[in-house]
Amino acid sequence: MATVGRGYRGGRYKGRSAGSRVVLYGLILAVALWLVGPFVWLFVTSVSYQKNLLARPFALIPPEVTMDNYKMILGLIRFHAEGQAAKILPSMLNSVVVAVVVTILNLVIGTTAGYAYARYRFPLKTLSLFALLFTRMLPTVVLVPAYFLMLRALGLSNSLTGLVLAYCSFTLPFTVWIMKAYFETVPAELDKSALVDGCNRLQAYYRVVLPVSGPGLVAGGAFTFMLCWNEFIVAQVLNTKPGTTTLPPVIAGMNGQINIDYSVIAASGFLGALPAVLLVLIFQKYMVQGLTAGSVKG
Amino acid sequence: MSADHARSTIPDRIAAPRLGLGSIRLSEAWFAFALVLPALGGIFVVVLFPLLYSLWLSFTDVNLLRAGGPAIELFGVRVPLFRWIGLQNYARILADPLYWSSLWRTVYFVLAFVVEAVLVGLGMALVLNERFVGRPLMRSCLLIPWSLSRVVVGLLWIGILDFEFGALNGVLHNLGLIDRSIAFFKDGWSALNVLVSVYMWNQAPFASLLFLAGMQSISEDLYSAAEVDGAGYWQRFRYVTLPALRPIMFLVLVLATVNGFLMLDLIYVLTMGGPANDTTTLSWLGFQTTFAFFKFGPGTAILYTLTALCLLLAFIYHRLILARFEPEA
Repeated sequence: MATVGRGYRGGRYKGRSAGSRVVLYGLILAVALWLVGPFVWLFVTSVSYQKNLLARPFALIPPEVTMDNYKMILGLIRFHAEGQAAKILPSMLNSVVVAVVVTILNLVIGTTAGYAYARYRFPLKTLSLFALLFTRMLPTVVLVPAYFLMLRALGLSNSLTGLVLAYCSFTLPFTVWIMKAYFETVPAELDKSALVDGCNRLQAYYRVVLPVSGPGLVAGGAFTFMLCWNEFIVAQVLNTKPGTTTLPPVIAGMNGQINIDYSVIAASGFLGALPAVLLVLIFQKYMVQGLTAGSVKG
Repeated sequence: MSADHARSTIPDRIAAPRLGLGSIRLSEAWFAFALVLPALGGIFVVVLFPLLYSLWLSFTDVNLLRAGGPAIELFGVRVPLFRWIGLQNYARILADPLYWSSLWRTVYFVLAFVVEAVLVGLGMALVLNERFVGRPLMRSCLLIPWSLSRVVVGLLWIGILDFEFGALNGVLHNLGLIDRSIAFFKDGWSALNVLVSVYMWNQAPFASLLFLAGMQSISEDLYSAAEVDGAGYWQRFRYVTLPALRPIMFLVLVLATVNGFLMLDLIYVLTMGGPANDTTTLSWLGFQTTFAFFKFGPGTAILYTLTALCLLLAFIYHRLILARFEPEA
């Protein structure tokens, strides 16, 4: 960790030979195709007619482009499976509500805890840190039978509140960990001078440290939102009543129906993927820093 | 983490007005404790309690229709406890040949996934660590497979691999390589390996991010020295890059192993455990037993054996990774 490298390695000072340049750009093209190709293809199918996907010879560039698939899932055109399609927008709203509430809860509770772990010594610190690490390795699915019965006992079956509680189980330990790693990079002198200036410890945290912790908060928040937005199994099992579930179970449900064209499902998949992809691409700098710091440092 | 505890000198650096050493230390500790309490309390309620309750369920005869029976009252909520039947659920699942075939299938799945994720992850990191035009853009591309919901990941690979409308079959047909479409999901062995690779497509980019972070912290001097000694690309990789990446390699291995054991959502979208039971892993078997057949007792027992495996891995992770990392962090 002696030098903060720019990351320009291997053959960086000497000019590359033409041959090695061809190999390198060939490899880069292959990696790019592998990473982005499938997602681009999802978009292509979502603006194609199913009949063109079945045609032989096969056309990678669609002969006709249509927005019909999107219009169908948004309820602008009637079609035979519109009952299924009508679930998409309400479930998307549910997804937004759950993801936003869990993200806020995580940022308030998890960030505070992360700060304490980074700065202070207190009883049970080592033990509780170990418990957090252990929680991160835990299969969420083992908790789901318990949630099922507990939420039933609480009268919270098929509720968004139940999902919010369940989602905190796999997001909160992560947030604490990411924020702990982040606050360790914020100089402790900052807190110290705030205390000298007459702040109490709580004020030093939320008036001085928190306002300069934007990158960490963005990393933790965006990651939490992404996890919630993409979660499938828990929502599928806990919220089975129509209208109570989130987007991924609805898309998976459409996928299981043989009478819906793939192109229509692709449109709903692309629409559902877009928020998380955009969020990650917009905040990628902070997310990559936060996640790699959080993981690499354990 | 123990090292973390020892080097936590910050309370000394944040000098609060000293009235007496004891009281200051106490109030500082209590302040910190108050900060972590909501998170720890929350984790207790949403993780630890359900975890213990699931463990309890795996020793009982859960009947979802029976309202009466033993229960505990917690804050006015009646949580049913069901009838204790000892190890019967475990005996039952361990006597089931499907449990064992699923376990071996899971082991194959995990091994294949770990190997693929490490090789592809490392390979992509090596390519993206070179200097070329558009490098930041390529790094953004790395985040796309990783930021997708597994439902969408499954969906888009259906679009590529499907027997009828899959793009891969279309392209192979156009190239004249096949006359009839390949049914990737019809044969169990093929379906299992497709699952491995699709999951790898989703997860390897994160391994690449970790490898890239590791590569960037390698001192340039090491490469210059190796170059002076006449080391070529592969020698620099073998003797400089790879040894420096060792801690991250461990991390990637363990994360991939745990993730492999837990993979569930892609099976749901792509194969539903079939054909026959050829893609039924332990997590899928436990999930189906619990939520498709509503056998909560045996289902949680299966999921708990899986949890025990993960716990073991978490322990290894702690011993191998953190023990190595903290002193230099």
